[in-house]
Order: sequence, then structure tokens, then C-alpha cells
Amino acid sequence: MTETQRRIVAEAWAFRTGVEREAADRFARLATAISRFDAPSPLPALMRRAAEDEQRHAALCLEEVAAACCITETESVATLTTLLAEEVEPGVEKVLRTIARDEVAHGRMGWAHLAREAARYDVSFLSSWIPAMLSGTVEETLFLEAPQDRDLLRHGVLPPSRKKAIFARTLEEVVLPGLETFGIDAGPARAWLSARIH
Amino acid sequence: MLFRKLFRMLVLGGAAVGANAGCSTAQAQQATEKKEDARSAMDGGTGAPQGSEAKADAGAGGGVQGW
Repeated sequence: MTETQRRIVAEAWAFRTGVEREAADRFARLATAISRFDAPSPLPALMRRAAEDEQRHAALCLEEVAAACCITETESVATLTTLLAEEVEPGVEKVLRTIARDEVAHGRMGWAHLAREAARYDVSFLSSWIPAMLSGTVEETLFLEAPQDRDLLRHGVLPPSRKKAIFARTLEEVVLPGLETFGIDAGPARAWLSARIH
Repeated sequence: MLFRKLFRMLVLGGAAVGANAGCSTAQAQQATEKKEDARSAMDGGTGAPQGSEAKADAGAGGGVQGW
């Protein structure tokens, strides 16, 4: 997936979270309104169930944003800024700087959306979903021993051990504290990481 | 240091962006509410739309955005 595609996808899923929340609120309002003037109607019960469905859909949309932006984009920014601190080829540096600017915006977009959702709703359910998101973020080969070729660094490729270390520290010091800031227990994610790193 | 900076830039920076968006939404909502209060005072609380606004409302259809 290209950077532009990833941004569009994240924006779409953030928008859809809102659509689903609004639908849930609307069904709940209609259920109340209908029961006031047509008490025997079966519709309010159906609408309350529909409202629950929409809340569940909103949660699924939020999961997409958290996985795409809060985790993947944040990890990307960490990798890019690490590379930019190294001596890389001038052409490579230019590319890295351009991508880094965009990635920062994409990462912030996810954290902004999560902050807004957390201010209005309980998003703690994401806690148990984070390990699956993490598994989808990286190849398991990241955690295996691999040959180190430091010459690749100036071409913008981190040695595997460095890549693994940055991934882990970004999780431990940025992503997981970030999730905790918004009331999401990072315990399951820490266990996932611990099983692979230590 | 790098990671602390990333936390501030992405997590706290993103939260600030989200909060500011909330402020602008809230401000817009307050402005709308004030406008509605003013209209209510003018029409004696009937809520009847006025002039061209009535036409615009009639054509708006109250649509709901989906996916």
C-alpha cells in the first residue's frame, strides 16, 4: 500500500466510525420516539438492537484507524527519524524527509481520532484487539536472528537487530503509553511483545 | 529522547489536533444555537423558518451520510 493510499484508507475508516456512531444515536432516538406514540410497536426493540449493531460497527472502524495510524504510522515515523539521524546518501535523505513529513501527519491523524473517540466513548475494548493488530503490523521474521549488513544503512535500510529494537522501543515508549493515555490497557500488547523480544 | 519526542509530537500533538477540532465544532454548534435562539425570539418561539431559509430547509431533505 502506498503512503497516499494508507492516508485515504485511514481517513475513510475514521469517517465511517462517525457514520456508525451517528447511526447508533439515531436508532436509539427513534426507538424512544416511536415507543412514546406507539407503545405496542415491535420497532423500538428492533431499533435498539440496530443501535447496538452500529456501535459494534463503529468499534470495528476504530480498530482500522488504530491499526493503520496509531500503530503502523507511529512505527514508520520512528524508523524514518532513526534513519535521518544516520549518515545516508543525499538522495535517500531527501526521500526520507519527504516521507517523514507525511507520516507524522498520518500518525497524528490516528491519535487525534482516538482522542476524540475516547473523550466521548469507552474505547477500552481495543485493549484485547491490539495483539492481533500488532501481528498484522510486522512479519514474525522481524524477531528472528538475521545477518547484519551495515552498508545498507546509508541507503536507508536498517540492520535487522536495529529495526527490531526500534520497533520494540516505539511500542514500549510511544504507542502503548499513548493507548494508556486514552484508557486502553496495554497489558495484552506488552505480553505480545514480551513473548517475542525477551 | 527520540521516543519521548515522538510521544509528544504524535500522541499529544494528535490529541491536541483532535481537541481543537472539537472546539471548532463546539463553537460552530454554539453559533448555531445562538442563531436558533434569536430566530425563536423573532417568531415567538414557533420555530417557523424565515424567507429564503425556509426554501433552503425545504429542499435540504435532512439527508444522512453513509459509507
